[in-house]
Amino acid sequence: MAVTLVKERWQSRVGEVILGATPEQGGTRSHTITVGGDGTLPFLHFEGTVANRPVVALEVNDVEPDWSPRLKEYYADVINNPAAWAKKCVDEYGADLIYLKLVGANPEGANRTPAECAQTVKDVLAAVSVPLIVVGCEEAEKDNEVMAAVAEAAAGENLLIGLAEQENYKSITAAAMVHKHSVIARSPLDINICKQLNILINEMGLPLNKIIIDPMIGGLGFGLEYAYSIMERARLGSLVNDKMLAMPMVCTPGYEANRAKEANAGIEDFPAWGDLHDRGTMWEALTATSLIQTGASILLMRNPEAVKLVKQNIEELMVSNA
Amino acid sequence: MEQYSVRFLPDNLTVQVPAETSILSAAGKAGIVIKSGCGGKGSCGACQVVLMSGEVKVEGTGKLSHEQIEAGVHLACKTKVMGDLSVEVPPESRLQEHQVLTGSIKGLLSEKEVNLLQKYGLKPLARKIQFSLAEPTLTENTADWAKLYLELKKHLGEGKIDVPLSVVRDLPEVLRAGKWQVTVTVADLPERSEVIKVEPGQSTTPAYGLAIDIGTTTVVVYLVNLESGEIIDKQGTYNKQARYGDDVISRIVFSVDAPGNLEEIQGAVVNTVNELVDSICRKHKVQREDIAGAVAAGNTTMTQLFLGVSPKYVRLEPYIPTFSYVPPVTAGELGLHMNPRGPVIMFPSVASYVGGDIVSGVLVTDMANADELVLFIDIGTNGEIVLGNRDWLVSCACSAGPCFEGGGITFGMRAMPGAIERVDIDPHTYDVELKVVGGRKPVGICGSGLVDCLAKLREAGIIDRAGNFQKDIESHRIRQTEEDKEFVLAWAHQAEGEKDIVISENDVKNLIRAKGAIYAGIRSLLRMVSLEVEMIDKIVIAGGFGNYLNVPDAVQIGLLPDLPSERYEFIGNSSVKGAHLALLSRQARVEAVELGKKMTYLELSVGNDFMDEFVSALFLPHTDLSLFPSVDS
Repeated sequence: MAVTLVKERWQSRVGEVILGATPEQGGTRSHTITVGGDGTLPFLHFEGTVANRPVVALEVNDVEPDWSPRLKEYYADVINNPAAWAKKCVDEYGADLIYLKLVGANPEGANRTPAECAQTVKDVLAAVSVPLIVVGCEEAEKDNEVMAAVAEAAAGENLLIGLAEQENYKSITAAAMVHKHSVIARSPLDINICKQLNILINEMGLPLNKIIIDPMIGGLGFGLEYAYSIMERARLGSLVNDKMLAMPMVCTPGYEANRAKEANAGIEDFPAWGDLHDRGTMWEALTATSLIQTGASILLMRNPEAVKLVKQNIEELMVSNA
Repeated sequence: MEQYSVRFLPDNLTVQVPAETSILSAAGKAGIVIKSGCGGKGSCGACQVVLMSGEVKVEGTGKLSHEQIEAGVHLACKTKVMGDLSVEVPPESRLQEHQVLTGSIKGLLSEKEVNLLQKYGLKPLARKIQFSLAEPTLTENTADWAKLYLELKKHLGEGKIDVPLSVVRDLPEVLRAGKWQVTVTVADLPERSEVIKVEPGQSTTPAYGLAIDIGTTTVVVYLVNLESGEIIDKQGTYNKQARYGDDVISRIVFSVDAPGNLEEIQGAVVNTVNELVDSICRKHKVQREDIAGAVAAGNTTMTQLFLGVSPKYVRLEPYIPTFSYVPPVTAGELGLHMNPRGPVIMFPSVASYVGGDIVSGVLVTDMANADELVLFIDIGTNGEIVLGNRDWLVSCACSAGPCFEGGGITFGMRAMPGAIERVDIDPHTYDVELKVVGGRKPVGICGSGLVDCLAKLREAGIIDRAGNFQKDIESHRIRQTEEDKEFVLAWAHQAEGEKDIVISENDVKNLIRAKGAIYAGIRSLLRMVSLEVEMIDKIVIAGGFGNYLNVPDAVQIGLLPDLPSERYEFIGNSSVKGAHLALLSRQARVEAVELGKKMTYLELSVGNDFMDEFVSALFLPHTDLSLFPSVDS
């Protein structure tokens, strides 16, 4: 007897967000990228529309990062040149977008000025033609200045800028509104705060299709399943027409997976764990592929080999199973 | 142990206490009630006294500043008597007498007067019966009690009649003094009657009764004429237990802390009631002996403490009270200032955190006989909520915290003269307009003022929906202090005191948590029975706080469900009203016992529903804006 697949009828869908702007749209990108738009749970082609494939952004820092040597190896020749680094990510490693972190702005670190940061963004924009995601140094006061300068310098480029958080969302939202960018709204693994933040940002006048949710995650073995269920709730919310949860999601597997001991400890310390190179790659790849299963639209990654695996997985998942 | 004398100034009262007694306890013994929000842990800093002379042992100075310590300021709870002392208790450390709200003050919806007896009919807890007996002779030689008993039977019909020995002792002389005319006071108890008192001749005074609401914060007493049902007088005051802590938990902790504490804390509440009774009796020239019965309602902890039953297990998981229903006790056993043989009836409780005060409130709302769906909310330190109709009743208690009674708020205070009860903020100039209880200069802000304040701060854009102060507003009223942001409601020169009256971001967050807890409780109950907010036909609000509550503002901040205001009703202090009703009607007394059994209790600490609801309610008005369609975005 044939098995009939049970199909859910959803009332609504995830909102679509367009990243980047072509010259006709007031920017300089060769193309735009659209994320979100799904009308079902991830990859259930037989049930509803799977509108846009998840995309991968590779991370670029404006100063040399304190990453493990294993990761830095991929970028050894470009690690002190964000523009070249970005170009390598796109040309060699197939990044759909560039995720530029202005770590150098940190007052405790290089303490770069907002103008210097803005210049870095311009350099990266000039070096690659893909859309850009730009975040600050996670020092609220400084980021407010830096991101305002970045937003202005890249006016019209429709960057995805961050981070707006419940305690600090106004200035970045205002900058995005004035200079026509989109915003990452980050909440600490909490569906309520996630939604509240979207309301707060939206009430300032930024349209819902200019907001991307960063729900925050844990890496594989470090709370990934908790993040998974939060994201699932958000996705279910958007499918039942909760407009304030219906934004695409961006996740940070590159950062989270590489924090794990399992992604850094050598085989000499843990012989049973096997070779670090493959283990580290798999740790990031598995974190990332789990996240797309629960609705992540943008993956912020670090390891080019993991990216290759993830892109292959996305390719397979995008084949219709209807 | 060595005894020392402690003299309190400016009262000039001296008491003898053993060495190492805290000044706080010594003051209690002298009848001086010193504020002690933390229950004597040395953390709240409310019990400051000035040591004039004598030797003490200082066990803690809490938040006292260097200047204060040098000026001789001590914390009464953390300072032990080690010699003869002289201590000054400044006015700000004293629990001030105040007029607890006993009448109706016009809120946005005025308090609804319910004609309680219409449905039930007068069948009071006690009444006086007068008759004459035939004088005995050598041939008609029935014993005195047998004769009285036969006559009583005629009046009371079937059923057992008890008489206590003390009445029998009075009987021979009373009968003869009245020349066989006699007035008998009889109490109507479950399944029996009891003779409370015999008087010679025809007594002209009626039997009186007491309706008592034992609140954690305040105690209210009605003296009622049991013949007419009329209320002779109402009075209220602070519960003297306040000196052992502001909330039930700290009282429970105190009561089990040391031997003798339970008796002490029971004595405190009995004293509170007695003072009110004495004051009313003096004013209306009523004899204690003529008060023949009492009905009292309080939360479970208050009920147990009133009866001197240890509430220890109310606080400990799985939160089991000692009793829900307890048969009538006598006033003599409790030490109440009324006829010692008179019965005292306690309203039954539902669970450890839904007590007799709520059963009493539900009785008054008559929701147990309603066809429509009624939601009853009593907002005090705990928010107790009951939902249901004639077929079912569910209840829960959510700990909202003391915010709405002024606790945990920088300038919070109870609703008494000097409390800001209404706030208006101009959204352009940020100018503030205040309405103060008693029309005086403001001292602080009470619950209703806080609800207003939150709504108006939001309306003016000073805070966002998450309760964060906005940095981009130019106004001298908004300031950044070292640890917090604040908004000035009244400048020092406009206020009663030397400081500006402010509301801080921290206060705002506390209020959001309090209102979130209440709303989450409502949603959890609804979820339990799978109903939606819109299906509630009537919402009845009770509590001292309710008299002042501005419903549109309470909806604006998401404290109360977004329903048309015509569905809202205020009944004020429903606890004492229910006690009044039960005092006058046998049917009400019977129904109260039934109600206690009928209500289902939902323990909110079980499962995740409440926490989920709570977190989503921590927003103005709510994370799910569709629950508040009338609130402007």
